[in-house]
Amino acid sequence: MAVSAQPRSAQRTSLWGWLLAVPSGWMAAFFVSSIVIVVLLSFGRTTNDGFPAFATSTANYRALWNEVYLELFVRSFLYALAAVVISVLIAYPVAYTIARHGGRYKNALVAAIVVPFFASYLIRMYAWKALLSDDGAVNSGLRSSGLSDGVTFLNTPWAVIGGLVYGYVVFMILPIYASLERLDLSLIEAGKDLYHGPVRTFFSVTVPATRPALFGGVLLVFLPAFGDFVTAQLLGGASTYMIGNLVQQQFMEGQNWPLGSAMTVALMVALAVLMVVYLRATSTQARES
Amino acid sequence: MPRKLERKPRIAVVVTAVFFVWLYLPIVAVVLFSFNDKKSLSSFSGFSLMWYDDLVHNGALLDSLMASVKIATIATLVSLVLGTMLALGLDRVRSRKTQVTLGAVTLLPLVTPEIVTGVAALLLFTGIGLKLSMTTVILAEITFSIAYVTVIVRGRLLGVAHEVEEAARDLGCTHFQALRLVLLPTLAPALVGAGLLVFALVFDDFVLAFFTTGVDPQPLPVRVYSSIRFGVSPAINAIGTLMLLASALLIVTALLLPRLFGRGSSSLDLITTGEPL
Repeated sequence: MAVSAQPRSAQRTSLWGWLLAVPSGWMAAFFVSSIVIVVLLSFGRTTNDGFPAFATSTANYRALWNEVYLELFVRSFLYALAAVVISVLIAYPVAYTIARHGGRYKNALVAAIVVPFFASYLIRMYAWKALLSDDGAVNSGLRSSGLSDGVTFLNTPWAVIGGLVYGYVVFMILPIYASLERLDLSLIEAGKDLYHGPVRTFFSVTVPATRPALFGGVLLVFLPAFGDFVTAQLLGGASTYMIGNLVQQQFMEGQNWPLGSAMTVALMVALAVLMVVYLRATSTQARES
Repeated sequence: MPRKLERKPRIAVVVTAVFFVWLYLPIVAVVLFSFNDKKSLSSFSGFSLMWYDDLVHNGALLDSLMASVKIATIATLVSLVLGTMLALGLDRVRSRKTQVTLGAVTLLPLVTPEIVTGVAALLLFTGIGLKLSMTTVILAEITFSIAYVTVIVRGRLLGVAHEVEEAARDLGCTHFQALRLVLLPTLAPALVGAGLLVFALVFDDFVLAFFTTGVDPQPLPVRVYSSIRFGVSPAINAIGTLMLLASALLIVTALLLPRLFGRGSSSLDLITTGEPL
């Protein structure tokens, strides 16, 4: 463009331009276009012989507007929200303990948290399924200790929410840990001197200082939790299915791809709207503080 | 100082201890019961390698393992190349608009729920008439992994002064030579880190593979998922132990990279601290 006045920068521009062109083309071909197809097919229909076809009907969206599906959306939202809240409750004490008392084991402790989270999510969820089943290790432990005759864990909302927390809490701990690490600990000491109490100090010093990390962590936990389907599939049942389970069924079992596409679009739109609302609210709050 | 100790928040320490137990409980269980000599998943009756023996003689599972290794290897190599190109391009491109737009598109796969990406990939491949197979899994995994590589390499690039490259140019390098001889070696730790990370992620990835795989051979996580749905079995513990071990090795290596390279930062700092340096 305008830079072509100088031969050297023109040459550079073209080298960087080429570097950009190939991966951008890839993303356009395989990512952007695939999302476009989902949106297009959400207005499609299923032909008489059962194949998905493009059309311009809003029937799929109208079909979505019924109690069963809306309930699943609300449930997904509530489960994801519960997972976020519990993650926050876990993340602060854990991050704080490591940052303040970790000493020279700090990095090792952080690594000990990170490593399991990169290890197969599926295997870890399977392990919970085995542990929590009616004749699993947890229940046999409860029985032999005489604490209880056995508790039904699986197929309950708490099993699914617990699974979501287990799967994504790391995304809350790491940012909060990073910002606590940077936080001058004498600030907390000063807070204690001023406010005389760990609780007030926590809310008036620690939380404001780690607010950006907290806001980021909330998104990082909420987004994957809202769209998750493996956790509810393995630890829950039909009564705890989330929106992801519904999408998965339409594509792998129900074979109504246009309806599944409409659900996927609804999921994306719901997340986008929630994100915009959330970012607005948090940026106003950030300005105020 | 003694005052500080007095105020040590006991609750926080207790929560942390419980958290670590909770974090490792299922992992310990998988590993432990993979050596059980009975089918029971609730009590350990004796040491045995019978489930590993089962694995070695399970042709379908071994095929899946090989398929997953192949998928992860190819996806890692291709996404490293594409992701690095994107990071370099984004770092140096002049147009602010291009930078912002492409930067956002790059990050999109990271914030899109995997099920959306999976469904979209399935529709795309079916739409263009590509038969679902290992190839489609590889294509989908590459698309998903580029973002990780780009984010990690961009983080590292922020720490590289443009002057270094200018100096190389003044010393007579062509642009390409400056890139190859100066920039890429500087990026090496980030590239190795990103490679290990992407390999671990792709090897373990279930959702994308689930939506884009053909019938045979299925990637390992998909195969494991189908067996889990039919009920729990100690044989899954054995393969699970091996999968956990493989990921742990990859990630620990990536974490230790800065030490291996002497100094400087690596990809994992980006993940563990959220800071690109």
